[in-house]
Amino acid sequence: MATDLAFEATRQPSPLLLWATRHRVALASLFLLLFPLVMPFKALAVMILIYGLYALGFNLLFGYLGLLSFGHSALFGAGAYLCGIAIVHFGWPWYLAIGLGLLAGMVVALVIGALAIRTRGIYFAMVTMALSQCVYYLFYQAVDLTGGENGLRGVNLKTVNLLGFEVDFLNPLSRYYIICGFVIAALWVLSRILASPFGAVIEAVRENEARARASGYDVMLVRLLTFVLSGAFCGLAGALLALHLSTVPIETMHYETSGLAVMMCLLGGMGTFFGPFIGAAIFLLLENLVSVWTSHWQLFVGLAFMVCVLFFPRGIWGTLMERMKA
Amino acid sequence: MAGLTLDLIGLQLFAGVALGAVYVLLAIGLSLIFGMLTVVNFAHGAFYMLGAYVGLWLMAHGGNFWLCLVLVPLVVGGIGLAVERVLIRPLYGRGIDYPLLLTFGLSYIIVELVRITFGKAGFPFDTPEVLQGAVDIGVGFFPLYRLFVIAATAVILFGLWLFLERTSFGLIIRAGARDPLIVRVLGVNVSKVWLIVFGMGTAIAAFAGLLAAPLQGVIPEMGGTILAEAFVVTVVGGMGSLLGAVLAGILVGVVVSMTSLFAPEMAKVAIFALMALVLLIRPQGFFGRAGLMS
Amino acid sequence: MTMQPAPQDQSIIMRTKDVGKTFGRFVALKDISAEFRHGAITSIIGPNGAGKSTYFNLLSGAFAPSSGTILFEGRDVTGLAQHKFAHLGIAKSFQITNVFPLLTTHENIRVSLQALVSRFDIFRPRTRLSELDDEAEALLERVGLAGHRHRLAGSLAHGEQRALEVGMALASHPRLLLLDEPTAGMSPEETRTMMDLIVRLAEERTVILVEHKMKLVMGISDRLLVLHHGELLAEGTPDDIRRNETVKRVYLGQREH
Repeated sequence: MATDLAFEATRQPSPLLLWATRHRVALASLFLLLFPLVMPFKALAVMILIYGLYALGFNLLFGYLGLLSFGHSALFGAGAYLCGIAIVHFGWPWYLAIGLGLLAGMVVALVIGALAIRTRGIYFAMVTMALSQCVYYLFYQAVDLTGGENGLRGVNLKTVNLLGFEVDFLNPLSRYYIICGFVIAALWVLSRILASPFGAVIEAVRENEARARASGYDVMLVRLLTFVLSGAFCGLAGALLALHLSTVPIETMHYETSGLAVMMCLLGGMGTFFGPFIGAAIFLLLENLVSVWTSHWQLFVGLAFMVCVLFFPRGIWGTLMERMKA
Repeated sequence: MAGLTLDLIGLQLFAGVALGAVYVLLAIGLSLIFGMLTVVNFAHGAFYMLGAYVGLWLMAHGGNFWLCLVLVPLVVGGIGLAVERVLIRPLYGRGIDYPLLLTFGLSYIIVELVRITFGKAGFPFDTPEVLQGAVDIGVGFFPLYRLFVIAATAVILFGLWLFLERTSFGLIIRAGARDPLIVRVLGVNVSKVWLIVFGMGTAIAAFAGLLAAPLQGVIPEMGGTILAEAFVVTVVGGMGSLLGAVLAGILVGVVVSMTSLFAPEMAKVAIFALMALVLLIRPQGFFGRAGLMS
Repeated sequence: MTMQPAPQDQSIIMRTKDVGKTFGRFVALKDISAEFRHGAITSIIGPNGAGKSTYFNLLSGAFAPSSGTILFEGRDVTGLAQHKFAHLGIAKSFQITNVFPLLTTHENIRVSLQALVSRFDIFRPRTRLSELDDEAEALLERVGLAGHRHRLAGSLAHGEQRALEVGMALASHPRLLLLDEPTAGMSPEETRTMMDLIVRLAEERTVILVEHKMKLVMGISDRLLVLHHGELLAEGTPDDIRRNETVKRVYLGQREH
């Protein structure tokens, strides 16, 4: 957010940072490709990928546009459920199911967004939270399709046929790399969006909505489009989650999952390209480590989150980025 | 047959009003806090839940219900005061989302602390003996306790109205809700006003939690679900409007109640449909100021 | 400051008919009917609280009037959404400086230029729109900020920010330029620069100014509108206004700036 930054007189980032930004997709991809080599728990690594992507989608709306939503669980969950339903109830091939999940995220974002943007920015969080809770109840009730309280089971994918090669999806490492492929593609798309003319519009609207409007930008439409794009990333992440877990727990749609996106994004660094992944990694690693001693790891997460809100609003990665600029 | 159905409808209406009473109290707290501090309190549900649990604890330690009605808002309101002073105040300059984010983080912590102290499973909450049983209200027998909830809410509302209309502090709140800048310019100690308003809002939320406890028991998650519903009420009534909170609260309660009569599974969804309708037709809510829209 | 020669084109670029605005129970403006001549510099003046800013906001589309109609080049624009105004050829600057603080001056103007060219393109890299870069440079020079290309707008001096805002307003190639107290908070030096800029800009387009410093605008305006308590008190050339008894009385009660 613009208000809490001290002004440097000019924007002259170090040549290193400039280079890194230009090659951000490549660098991020490299990191993600090498990640499983340092991470002993492959399943955890996959979760980091998935939730990192989820947080990435959220970051587009909150970190870049500055619009806080507490309804992203509906986008994530819709992606997961639609992918799962396509496979379990309609026997679709995995790649179409993923596509459906992605689309579902966008559609739910369109509906929720169209209703929520009619209110002033401050209420957006409130309205999106309420609307996503509505989606939760709807999916909860549709027991025949979604399994209701018990979640959707049987989203089984054993092998993936990639250009003639049969890849074993059950092998943790190959599963990681297949999912990583999607995530890298998503990173590339995100980078394109940020570098596009629309990316400049997103910046402008975040900086000064009234001025953006006076210059001729339809701010409501900008918000809606960004929300829908955000939904695409979150829907994709949800679809991948369904495939990874082989089930879709109803908790995926719960508002607490919306909170997860917020926390991971803030912990990592809002408005930075790779921050969400760092945030997801920190969060999930903490969860795994702390829950070894105590079942109350949520307390520590909550505390860490509050500490960040109070003292490190730019998150861990974000603070690092700031240091590099100086 | 027709007479029976009418009676049943009448009873459901009353049940709706009783349900609505809890919503009203929550929405009023939210609106007060938002109107004065411009903070959407995402911990409001947690304070509601805290009220129920503090009441539970007091009852278990020999308290009586009437004492709880007084102590619970005081204790939780006190916690609210501390929260505003220590956690929220540092964030005021920063941008509208930060206090919200903080209250969200706080809700996580409060819920987890309650889980640690009281366990993850919920508890039933006994209706106080004096208030047990049912009363004939003309259209049938209606639980006495629910009547009490309606009455207690009415008392709180009346007290609040008196406070806002008749005291100088209440005047400041009303003026501040209309135009925050003016209040500051007039030299009023705004920090103190915010502190007290936050304390009041959380105290009322806790009171609502205590009232609701005999109706549904207490579990740590009770704050989360009702928060979404309280948000619906504030959107429908208009954020920052106390009259809106009252009317919308009752309306939402009645909608839930009546929908349960005809299509129980859709009862919860119905209120979101109501909210969607309001967003389409009148986004600022019934009583929200037109300036609340972009 | 030289007097503008009488504009050749007498057609009306903007007209308000019985326009009024109430906020709740407060009547900010009542029945303002006025015409703004094409190619002229018209200044809206009046003591503080007269409703100048409210009228300005109506003309620039910030909100809709409670009553009456607003016509731009013969077209009814009453209640039109704010973001459409730039596309009609109307640009504005704000009373309190409104720039994009964390973008550089160059980016500020560039993104304003982009609004007319590409608003929802999410695929192409924005660097492809290189013609915008050139035009942004030209506009920066126009408003005297050429050397400050890379400076963050939030770090500019007040007068420079104001100039930047004018540059951003020019980005939409407006036929009508609306400036709300353009010299507010400026030093005498900065004020002179701004006034010169305005006169130069007025050579190619219509300008409507809001000012409460009467002396400042007397020298450059072709016409003046005097507002008082939300009503139109007087209208005419600077000479007409100087000789107007009612206006003198109203202003005599206030200190002249």
